[in-house]
Amino acid sequence: MMNRRAFVQSLCAGLGSVGLQDMLRGETAPAVHSGPHFAPRAKHLIVLFMTGGPSQMDLFDPKPALLKYAGQRPSSVDLRTERVTGGLLPSSFQFKRCGRNGVEVSELLPRLGEVIDDICVLRSVHTFNPTHTPARSLIHSGNISAVRPSMGAWLSYGLGTENANLPGFVVFSGGAGGTLWRSGFLPAEHQGTQISRVESSPEKMIQYLRNTDLDSEAQRRQLDLMQALNRRHADGFGGDEFLEGRIRAMETAFRMQFAASDAFDLKNEPARVREEYGTTDFANQCLLARRCVERGVRSVFVYYGAGQPWDDHTFISKNLRARCPDMDQASAALITDLKRRGLLDETLIVWGGEFGRTPVSESGDGRDHNPYGFTMWMAGGGVQGGIAYGATDEFGFKAVENRVSVHDLHATILNQLGLNHEKLTYRYAGRDFRLTDVAGEVVKGILS
Amino acid sequence: MEAFPMKFSCLVLAVAALDLSVPVRAQEPAGGAEFFEKKIRPVLATRCYACHAEKLKSPMGGLVLDTREGTRRAVEGKLLSAIRYNNPTLQMPPGGKLADSVVGDFERWVADGAPDPRAAAAATSKPAGVDFAKGRAWWAFQPVKEFPALRAGGSSWVRRRIDGFILAELEKNNLSASAEADRRTFIRRATIDLTGVAPSFADVEMFVADAEPDAFERLIERLLGSARYGERWGRYWLDVARWGEDNPTGEATNPGYAFAWRYRDWVIEAVNKDVPYDRFVKMQLAADQLPGFQRDDLRALGYLGAAPTYHKDLRLSRDVIETLASDDWDERVDAVSRGLLGLTVACARCHDHKFDPISNKDYYGLAGVFASSMPVRRPLSEVDAETEKKVAFGQVRGFFLQYLAKLMKGEPGTVREPGKKQAYFEAEVAKLKEATPEVKGDYTHAVIDAGLWVDGSDPDLTNLDFRMGQARDLPVFQRGNPASPGDIVPRRFITVLEPGEPTAFAAGSSGRLELAEKIFGARAAPLAGRVIVNRVWGWHFGKPLVGTTSDFGTQGDLPTHRELLDDLTARFIAHGWSLKWLHREIMLSAAYRQASRPRQDGQQQDPTNRLLWRMNPRRVDFEAWRDTILSTSRQLDAAAGGPSMELEKKGNFRRTVYAKVSRSRLSPLLKLYDFPDPNQHAPNRELTTTPLQQLFVMNSEFVQQRARVIADQAVEASGDVKERIQHLYRTILGREAEAREIDLALSYLDKADWAGYAQALLGSSEFIFWP
Repeated sequence: MMNRRAFVQSLCAGLGSVGLQDMLRGETAPAVHSGPHFAPRAKHLIVLFMTGGPSQMDLFDPKPALLKYAGQRPSSVDLRTERVTGGLLPSSFQFKRCGRNGVEVSELLPRLGEVIDDICVLRSVHTFNPTHTPARSLIHSGNISAVRPSMGAWLSYGLGTENANLPGFVVFSGGAGGTLWRSGFLPAEHQGTQISRVESSPEKMIQYLRNTDLDSEAQRRQLDLMQALNRRHADGFGGDEFLEGRIRAMETAFRMQFAASDAFDLKNEPARVREEYGTTDFANQCLLARRCVERGVRSVFVYYGAGQPWDDHTFISKNLRARCPDMDQASAALITDLKRRGLLDETLIVWGGEFGRTPVSESGDGRDHNPYGFTMWMAGGGVQGGIAYGATDEFGFKAVENRVSVHDLHATILNQLGLNHEKLTYRYAGRDFRLTDVAGEVVKGILS
Repeated sequence: MEAFPMKFSCLVLAVAALDLSVPVRAQEPAGGAEFFEKKIRPVLATRCYACHAEKLKSPMGGLVLDTREGTRRAVEGKLLSAIRYNNPTLQMPPGGKLADSVVGDFERWVADGAPDPRAAAAATSKPAGVDFAKGRAWWAFQPVKEFPALRAGGSSWVRRRIDGFILAELEKNNLSASAEADRRTFIRRATIDLTGVAPSFADVEMFVADAEPDAFERLIERLLGSARYGERWGRYWLDVARWGEDNPTGEATNPGYAFAWRYRDWVIEAVNKDVPYDRFVKMQLAADQLPGFQRDDLRALGYLGAAPTYHKDLRLSRDVIETLASDDWDERVDAVSRGLLGLTVACARCHDHKFDPISNKDYYGLAGVFASSMPVRRPLSEVDAETEKKVAFGQVRGFFLQYLAKLMKGEPGTVREPGKKQAYFEAEVAKLKEATPEVKGDYTHAVIDAGLWVDGSDPDLTNLDFRMGQARDLPVFQRGNPASPGDIVPRRFITVLEPGEPTAFAAGSSGRLELAEKIFGARAAPLAGRVIVNRVWGWHFGKPLVGTTSDFGTQGDLPTHRELLDDLTARFIAHGWSLKWLHREIMLSAAYRQASRPRQDGQQQDPTNRLLWRMNPRRVDFEAWRDTILSTSRQLDAAAGGPSMELEKKGNFRRTVYAKVSRSRLSPLLKLYDFPDPNQHAPNRELTTTPLQQLFVMNSEFVQQRARVIADQAVEASGDVKERIQHLYRTILGREAEAREIDLALSYLDKADWAGYAQALLGSSEFIFWP
């Protein structure tokens, strides 16, 4: 670095010592935010999104009545869904009582069963749209139209970031769906940064992360020149917010190259931890999610697989048998790992899809979309573990007890992160918008 | 709060909420009217009125809850027990138990004697409604007029009428204007402003040396005459028009718009030709109905014909489909009202506007126009009206029939007779093909007059019933919910911009032309004029006179210089709505010619520069930045128009305005640089400065390659190191390097190559700054 100091000194001649020191030290970008409104229970959010809509009756919400009335179609299941459905379809899977309270969990999910005392199963979530895209938009932004800001963007806007060298809102998704992590009308800096594939090296994962022309020393030299020119230009102009902000952003970008390389490099993880999570894409994404929150990233959204893997219109039992093991292992490992590091208390994990599935069959051995009642779960972040909250009707079609709407869900998530959902607003098109639109109540019954 | 049963749209929530969103103190006494209004009435309205209202022919159980009397009876009866779900035979509402906290509110309210502030008569009797007479007094609805020129001749600073207004406000606040910017700064400012590409070094030198008194005038004329001008200013309009080439989601019933680029090209051509703004807008609403119509004008209808549209899965119920259709109409109402009139009419979808004089009925009067305009690809070749109708109907009806036939094919299980249905749809498609003439040649996305009704008569499938040449007057969807239609509202313009009660549009057509004429009619033209003049002002100065460019209502900002805005608008209209006239008027003003450097007195008294004591320094937007980089490396492809190209495609050297704009998968690069979401009307762009943008500057192949090309050119131009440095300064920054800058360069080049140096100049703040 001796060389660099001398070089920077030569660049900064005539700029005054402030300029020099700034350049050698680097500055951190100021975070712009409004919250938290009160002491938060969690600092980070990890969403494990099961795109397509996982089946509650086969995973977390056992319904013995399905067996009793198998193939029949009582009038209470005559709810209109996307497709036309047949009679009641019992689950092929056994449920086990797990944890201190004996919460029932499917045999497909043994590992999650083992950590159920850290999990709060929400059996009574419901929305109102049975079509994938609008329903996903609803879960992400509180609205079916693809225009409102996503939850992660709201959190970034409301809370800023804890690590200016990394994006505040990171998305692991192999699929398209870029509109799901949109910032909508919020400033663009709050949009999610998508990492579409977990690769052997971080440079392949984040576009423009590394310079392929210059090594880091040569690049630092180039940046020093650029910053000397920028400093000179800014001083010559006489003080300007944009010019100052850009100098800071340049420095942050330079550091981000290394910070991100470190954060997104799985080679830095011991083999034992890699084994614990497993080796699938989803496992790697979960592990990277932990590395992100460890480094202060505000929210991380992990999408299981590309496309809509949980959309089991046919062969549901066979599909679930194939898909559950790695989801089970990695999700449970994430909980265990965060807990071991003392991070589970300050990280809220939310698991679920855009809706659940019908208790009635489709195509004989599949299930249709069901927004009337389905299961999500939460872990950590000040939420009670080892409980099942709310209930669906006897067949698992419709949430009937302690119903949790999507706005309630959002209000609760924001609450755990120290934000009052009614106060987190942004003025646009003539009114103050909220993530929770004009509804939402914190689900107090699940808070620890 | 408890959410609502499926049949209610999310908009129902909106209503309840407008009342609920007012913060309520934790233990507010339940005795007051306020408690009832905030906690009780909204629940009754959204959860109970549907079955228990006086206007119903037979309210369920004979019980009504929208009157004080009926509610009192319920309270004395089983209301509490029903909502507590205690009694298995009487549980209300039937869709699911209310949240415990809501039940708690009712318990408190009943315990406090169930005070009910509603009039003894039916609560459904007419609400107070919107006071239009009072509403019309708002400043933005007043006529515009010219004001006597201020300070003309009284100050040597004043060059144009604009300046008199600016100077008067500055003097009132003991501030002075800034000195004129130097010519180098000015030509860069003006050239980027009008063409979106920085001037070449030669252009700069020529202008600096131009001693003629009309040097500025000639510069502006030259720039306005450039074909690049339309590409720059057309792009501004495309933000307003939320232009995109596909839909927010791309599913079976809302595929992409393959010919959307024809609308983009039409906009650019029209701006270059200085088509008067009133005609420019009218063409986008009703080109096919305007006098002097030519087939090529149909491209303008892409404004409506390639608008964001949502998927309609016709297996869903009629109510769901009608909600989706009404979401589409809502998008048009919003784009037209905010984009063209600066009014947030979409706020009146569920109820009268809470702040502005816009009624719920005004909304549906306007929405009906869009419910009567069918999106369709129309042929650009000459075709008679009858054939055109048949082609349009065949295309849209055929599309949905084929979609249904395909659905039935993949639909196993318990669909009632899917095979029979499939055969029926296929036969219908065949019949339709028979009846539909074929028109060869190019097509464009447009609309044609045809009303849409949503038909739920088949219990399995919902049908979209387009009726050619018929207009549909919509009922008020109460609380935004199509499942509870109220009074029919004839298609018409909004009341506050009419002299009295609005007159209904004619029955035979959609009303697009009448709407267009109304927007530029005597009452609304001043508002439409102010809105566009304010936008243009904002694009020139970086800050508009009315900060909320798409909200001129009571929740929006007031103008910083109202007389200036009115005077300029009045003269803009008098000059035939000519945007080029407006550019000249603004760009030749002393206000626009000011330097943008900070001054201490100005910073202290007016830090946000609302009084315009200096020009606003800015950074250029993404388009101008990228296009200037390409122009600097002499690689910018000047070809105009045609289908779009993926922005990030290798070898795409076209202007950024010709890049593909996807609503579902917007280019990550455009997103990174604050491109507005094309799914909705964008009032302005918020330009951010983020580290991820700087990663693009430092590490992208795009910037690196251009730097290499420019560096090679410099090396080729001269063998002398200092001369090469000068070459790069001239090419990239449009000026000569100073001695100190040459020293810096030499010190850097000691251990680095020319490409790295050229990249540092391309990445410098000076290159992207726009003082």
